[in-house]
Amino acid sequence: MAISSLVFLAVVLGATGLFAYKASILFRLAKATKGPVWSGNRMDRLAERVETFFTNVLFQKAVLKKKKAGLMHVAIFWGFMIITIETMELFAYELFPGFSLSFIGESAYATLRLIQELFTLLVLSGVGYAFYRRLVLRPEGLGKSTDAIIILSLTSGLMLALLAMRSFHILAEPNDNNAVMFASMWISGIWQSLGVTPEVASTMAAGFRWFHHLLVLGFMVYIPSSKHLHVLTAAPNTFFRKLETPKGMRKVNLEAEDATSFGAGKISDLSWKDTLDLYACTECGRCQDACPAWNTQKPLSPKALVHDLKDSLYENKLALLSGKTDEVKPILGSKITDDVIWACTSCRACESACPVFIEQTDKIYEIRRNMVLMESRFPAELQTVFKNIENNFSPWAMSPDERDKWTEGLEVRTMAQIAASGEQVEYLFWVGCAGSFDDRSKKVSKALVSILKKSGIKFAILGKEEKCTGDPARRAGNEYLAQTLIQENVNVLNNYGVKKVVTACPHCFNALKNEWKDFGIELEVIHHTQLIAELIRSGKIKPTKAVDEKVTYHDSCYIGRWNNEYNAPRTILASVPQLKVNEIEQNKSNGMCCGAGGSRMWMEEHIGTRINVKRTEQLLEAKAGVVAANCPFCITMLTDGIKTKELTDKVRVMDVAEIVDQATV
Amino acid sequence: MATVLIYAEHKEGKVKKVTHELISEANRAGAESVVFVAGQGLDAVNKELGEMGAKRVIAAQGDAVKFYSNEAYGKLFVDAVKSTNPSVILIPATAQGKDLAPRIAALLGVGLASDCTKIQIDGEKLKATRPIYAGKAVADVEFVGPKPYMATVRPNALSVGAASPGASAAVTALSLDTGALKSTVKDVVRGATAKLDVTEANIVVSGGRAMKNSENFAILEKLSEVLPNSAVGASRAAVDAGYRPHSYQVGQTGKVVSPTLYIACGISGAIQHLAGMRTSKIIVAINKDPEAPIFQVADYGIVGDLFEVVPLLTEEFKKALG
Ligand SMILES: Cc1cc2nc3c(=O)[nH]c(=O)nc-3n(C[C@H](O)[C@H](O)[C@H](O)COP(=O)(O)OP(=O)(O)OC[C@H]3O[C@@H](n4cnc5c(N)ncnc54)[C@H](O)[C@@H]3O)c2cc1C
Ligand code: SF4
Ligand code: SF4
Repeated sequence: MAISSLVFLAVVLGATGLFAYKASILFRLAKATKGPVWSGNRMDRLAERVETFFTNVLFQKAVLKKKKAGLMHVAIFWGFMIITIETMELFAYELFPGFSLSFIGESAYATLRLIQELFTLLVLSGVGYAFYRRLVLRPEGLGKSTDAIIILSLTSGLMLALLAMRSFHILAEPNDNNAVMFASMWISGIWQSLGVTPEVASTMAAGFRWFHHLLVLGFMVYIPSSKHLHVLTAAPNTFFRKLETPKGMRKVNLEAEDATSFGAGKISDLSWKDTLDLYACTECGRCQDACPAWNTQKPLSPKALVHDLKDSLYENKLALLSGKTDEVKPILGSKITDDVIWACTSCRACESACPVFIEQTDKIYEIRRNMVLMESRFPAELQTVFKNIENNFSPWAMSPDERDKWTEGLEVRTMAQIAASGEQVEYLFWVGCAGSFDDRSKKVSKALVSILKKSGIKFAILGKEEKCTGDPARRAGNEYLAQTLIQENVNVLNNYGVKKVVTACPHCFNALKNEWKDFGIELEVIHHTQLIAELIRSGKIKPTKAVDEKVTYHDSCYIGRWNNEYNAPRTILASVPQLKVNEIEQNKSNGMCCGAGGSRMWMEEHIGTRINVKRTEQLLEAKAGVVAANCPFCITMLTDGIKTKELTDKVRVMDVAEIVDQATV
Repeated sequence: MATVLIYAEHKEGKVKKVTHELISEANRAGAESVVFVAGQGLDAVNKELGEMGAKRVIAAQGDAVKFYSNEAYGKLFVDAVKSTNPSVILIPATAQGKDLAPRIAALLGVGLASDCTKIQIDGEKLKATRPIYAGKAVADVEFVGPKPYMATVRPNALSVGAASPGASAAVTALSLDTGALKSTVKDVVRGATAKLDVTEANIVVSGGRAMKNSENFAILEKLSEVLPNSAVGASRAAVDAGYRPHSYQVGQTGKVVSPTLYIACGISGAIQHLAGMRTSKIIVAINKDPEAPIFQVADYGIVGDLFEVVPLLTEEFKKALG
């Protein structure tokens, strides 16, 4: 072997060794985070995982949700993939002088070179746009990052080195086939006009080839400690992602005898998937741009959270690797503060925006659990809520025996009456605390009852036997209290053999549908907008009366982003005579939270500006007289927002059911 | 004779009435009433405790305990428990007591009946009555298991015995050895108001968005001046609009009050507001909208403009109360 080949081999082995060492530490750190993975198995349904890998990694579907930045990324990503073939060819050439891929056939080889030339230029233009974005446009979510500048410089250096190498090579070894490398050809013309001889050109080509080798290897060694780690981790993270959108909170086994701690107090309490999430973050800032908390000056940014958790992981490297978990420092500290964790509305705008399927909320809610269960550390207002749920089975201090008072004069039957009469009903109408006690929401409950009666569907309620789902406690970290209520409710439902449930509350909906199966009940749960849409479709009710209003629709997070239902409410509105729908830009999965989710409904909003006011302002853009909603808490938040804007005379908030009730006979 | 250990709450050299209620209850039951008190410059307080009928006082006095702190006071109280070996511990169900009692119970590993409205000390035994289901029902609880038996008792729930001027209690100083503390209170900064807190008032006059500005709250202040032991509260809308500071907010995310009389002026009665005042004994609502939900919980409703009604009310109360 030639000396130069040996030197090259040594450099490659050295760099690879260094890379392997750095990567192995990341791997061992991921293994040292031993907490349970949210929503279970990430190795099942292989076919679907392969499919998501193709669509989202190779075809960059999630990345392309953002047009310009997405296209830029596609150019760089595919460019790199294609050019790696040339890089490998050059490596082989260094080890076995004279090696070339030309054996694939003349025209095939020429085509390959043409493609590579094209992609080199594509990468360069992509990187150029990236530089422009970072240095000139400077979108807020991107932030400042020296790391990013280093990466972009390395990338453009690689491409320029290739062009330089090719151009000198063309001059050193003229060949008709070189014409396909049109740009390199053009540059080589410049060298020629400057009087560069073939000998000099040959030396220069070798020099740039080596320069390229070193850049590639340097890049490789740099990756594990940079945000560019995502080139290695985004693909596995996409593969191991949670495949479907709906999800529930992980059930904590509170009876586990060996459990010394609940929730995530330290980074070691998170799971390998969480750690992989941290590695996969590209720091693109899409989550931060979408976050209602961040956009109203709260200290929470999902991007910063992921970044800070990664810092916590690295800061505790020694303790983690030596297995001394008791020496791992708490997550909460100067960067991740209590206010960061309590600011989240669980809207999942971050998760829906993330191009690499990071699940930010799981971490936040696992940390809340630790704060509440282990340290009783939570905003003071929640104390009252917990106490009320415990004593009155409702987050408000309302008496349980008044839960069915709203049905007075309506002839709504309870499951107990149904069971006693030996009859059967199709649906249990789960009313929820708001629908039972809040005057505004009671009107929605009544509208739904009226619709159900018009349709002839048989239904019943639990009445006094219904209790809070425990969801306000669960999302505020009080898993213990929540589980008590869930179990009591599940026992009642099982007792009546309930199979199908309809509810007008998206929070109850998500809990019953996606969470209660962990507590021993399989329910078919349907949101009232879904049921109404179906009743209209099948002709069981007919919206024949005109509702002469301009309406805009607000997607609730728990029906929208949590459960992917954007159509049912819209088909309903479309079927109402004379009603005109004006959509706003921030709708469907890009809709903004009203501010009530994640138990924020029960906390005071002391920091920054009000989320509900910001959302109201967006909706007012539609210039509609009615804001249609599907959730009791959205209705409260938006009504309050409209009051703040002093527009109560001009704009009303209505539940979709109320509109339908008006439109039907 | 059974010993009852009582936590004394005091402010600016004055013992709070609820402490007197607890001492009287212990004495009525024929138990030895021992009072734990912590703070600085306790002479006046100790004297007052003696006049309230306390037999003994365990005083933790010094700079280190100048301000209330859950951690330090908790440790010292447990020391007092060790030296007096009581069979019953009574703590006021005030903000401070609610903060302290669970910690003491946990440190002692004993049970706790919170927020009681009646207690019955029978020799070494304790029975307590506490409201449940938002006051719709009451539960009688009896203690089993290890002593001491602990309860927190609501202010104004028990009657006070006559004070005996000149009587004094034997005062024992408690060593201030709290061991290592995780936190210490350096200073307490009070909000601008020196007025009665809405949670302590017997009568609350609240204003809502309809007040329109902070100056207009003066008419509510005037009404409050006429009514004894009263304070002015606000809805969140009024607080958000900057008419009043957050500490006045009544409701789900503000203060929860249950005064004898609650007068809601220009408040619609959103459930978030009701959550903070529903349990008031008598609710009076003044609102110009007869459909306002507040009227559903009100015992007396006045449909009208609050700017006319409130001054009239003030005048009438002035006459009636002399
Ligand atoms: C997370 C969250 C927490 C909340 N926490 C609280 C809380 O702790 N406390 C709280 O109060 N609210 C709270 N709210 C707000 C609650 O939803 C209502 O918006 C609020 O209580 C309304 O206040 P209001 O009744 O003063 O105003 P409005 O609802 O606007 O009512 C004003 C009333 O005044 C009447 N009125 C107008 N002019 C006159 C006049 N001249 N004379 C007589 N009547 C007049 C009107 O008829 C109307 O009924 C919370 C909301 C959220 C989302
Ligand atoms: S769930 Fe919503 S509020 Fe919470 S971090 Fe994500 S975007 Fe922000
Ligand atoms: S978490 Fe996802 S969306 Fe947020 S910065 Fe990282 S990669 Fe981007």
